[in-house]
Amino acid sequence: MKKSFNKGILSDSDMKKPSGKLIYGIIIALLVVMSIIVVVPVLWLLLAGFKDVQELYEIPAKFFPKKIELAKLWRVWNEMKFYRFYINTFIMAGGAVAATVVVDGLAGYTLSRLRPAGSRIIMTLLFALMLMPGTMRTVPLYMTFKSFSIFKISLLDSFIPIWIMAAADIFSIIMFKNFFDGISDSLVEAATIDGAGNMKIFFKIIVPLSVPIIMTVAIFSFNGQMGQFFWPYLLIGDQSKTVLGVQLYKMKGGNYTQDYHMLAILFSIVPQVVVFLVFQRFIIGGVNVGGVKG
Amino acid sequence: MRFFKKNFSAWMLIIPALICIYYVIIRPQITGITWSFYNMQGYKVTTFAGLDNYKRILADNQFYRTLFNTIQYVIWSLVVGFLLPIMIAVMLNEAVHMRNTFKFLLYFPSVLPGVAITLLWYMVYSPDASGLLNIVLSKFGFASYTWLQDENWTILYIILSMTWASAGATALYYFASLQGVSRELYEAATMDGAGFFKRMWHITLPHMSGIILLMFVKQIIGVFSIMEQPMQMTDGGPNGASLTLGLLSYRYGFVNGRPQLAMAVGVVMFVILMVMTCFYYALDKKISDN
Repeated sequence: MKKSFNKGILSDSDMKKPSGKLIYGIIIALLVVMSIIVVVPVLWLLLAGFKDVQELYEIPAKFFPKKIELAKLWRVWNEMKFYRFYINTFIMAGGAVAATVVVDGLAGYTLSRLRPAGSRIIMTLLFALMLMPGTMRTVPLYMTFKSFSIFKISLLDSFIPIWIMAAADIFSIIMFKNFFDGISDSLVEAATIDGAGNMKIFFKIIVPLSVPIIMTVAIFSFNGQMGQFFWPYLLIGDQSKTVLGVQLYKMKGGNYTQDYHMLAILFSIVPQVVVFLVFQRFIIGGVNVGGVKG
Repeated sequence: MRFFKKNFSAWMLIIPALICIYYVIIRPQITGITWSFYNMQGYKVTTFAGLDNYKRILADNQFYRTLFNTIQYVIWSLVVGFLLPIMIAVMLNEAVHMRNTFKFLLYFPSVLPGVAITLLWYMVYSPDASGLLNIVLSKFGFASYTWLQDENWTILYIILSMTWASAGATALYYFASLQGVSRELYEAATMDGAGFFKRMWHITLPHMSGIILLMFVKQIIGVFSIMEQPMQMTDGGPNGASLTLGLLSYRYGFVNGRPQLAMAVGVVMFVILMVMTCFYYALDKKISDN
């Protein structure tokens, strides 16, 4: 099958001329070069973890390790007890994703379809808040969590602040609202005529239809939360609750050789890479949805 | 009464989100501004201080150096990272061969967690022989270089690592907008004898002008408040060469125990960013009016 060039600026007729072929060739060459720039550090990350200490300090250093011993992965994983950071990070990210989807999903649904009195003011407020720089919020927010004003309890050393912050994600509310705006009224009306109540409409019609948006928000939220660094670092001093991002940062100041750093980075990117490989289309498509509508 | 009955259940559904937004965004926004005019003892607000906190941060020479650094971050990020995603998007849109492979590879770094990216690049820039870039240098017979330790260029190197991580994802925003260019325009221009670059200049780029402006402002605002990358990569060093206002504010708030000064720095940043945001809206309105 001959591929058509009628996708971009270049057309099939351009491709018959040498100048068009030259431009196309340069474009492909540049894309290849950029892909290599992206891939090489990642490839190096994969390989450098397998070097042993002598190889690391060899001059001149080599790009490839002498041998790839997979057992080293397991050894280092156990030695650093990496599973602990995984468990903590999954608890933090799981709660945060649930908070975002449930709280912001309901808010988006309410603003889109139920529209109670005050919805307009709320929407205006949300847009204004979303665009407002929050450079002075860190200290007061930390103080809020340190002594939570309603109960005067400290939420430090727990994941609850992370979950509360995840629920206060205006961008997700607007993503949900935009999606629900697109569901046709006739479906809901037909169900109402058939005598379905609000609850039934919500669970039988709205929820099944919203699977794509729930997935998109959940995937983006999961990827963001798995890489959280600043707030867990600030709020959680309890060693037994260290998450992946904080652990990587702490290792930087510790006495580890380069291969350990590399393996730790490798371990910490696995969940995101798996999610990306599985939901590739969702993620790359979701960027577009967010870009056009948000 | 009926008014409440009608709206009550709907309000209940949105109230959890509003409470969280109040605690996470609205309250700290207001108290952050207010408390920047107060004295504090640890994290306890004590007495009204007027402009003292502002006088103190502005009297410190480090503040001006840090402001200048932060502006340098913004400028470098525009030089290195602003045109690149636009170019990538246009080229991706031209590519017929391996289009999805390129898309996948170039987007890939942006799914990685931020700390992993900075730590990986910290290793890439490692000043001893084991760093990736020094391995490359030694292959060509050059001596090792200090990279992040070189005060003159630290900011550029941090920006390069950030561009590596985000250019592909930004390119996809532009790519999405490129899908809306009508084919007929290109065909008509080709008839008139316009070559590749003329078509790009007169059709493709004007089509993207709205999103280009949006991304321009988003990038300035985003980079201006940068804190995590210098914190993780250089901790503001060497000798404060890569310190940013965001990191300075963090240090006042959580390292030096003067949170009132942290909020004052935050408010100064807020004012600068608000001016830029308003400027953007004026510009955007002008463009859409034409």
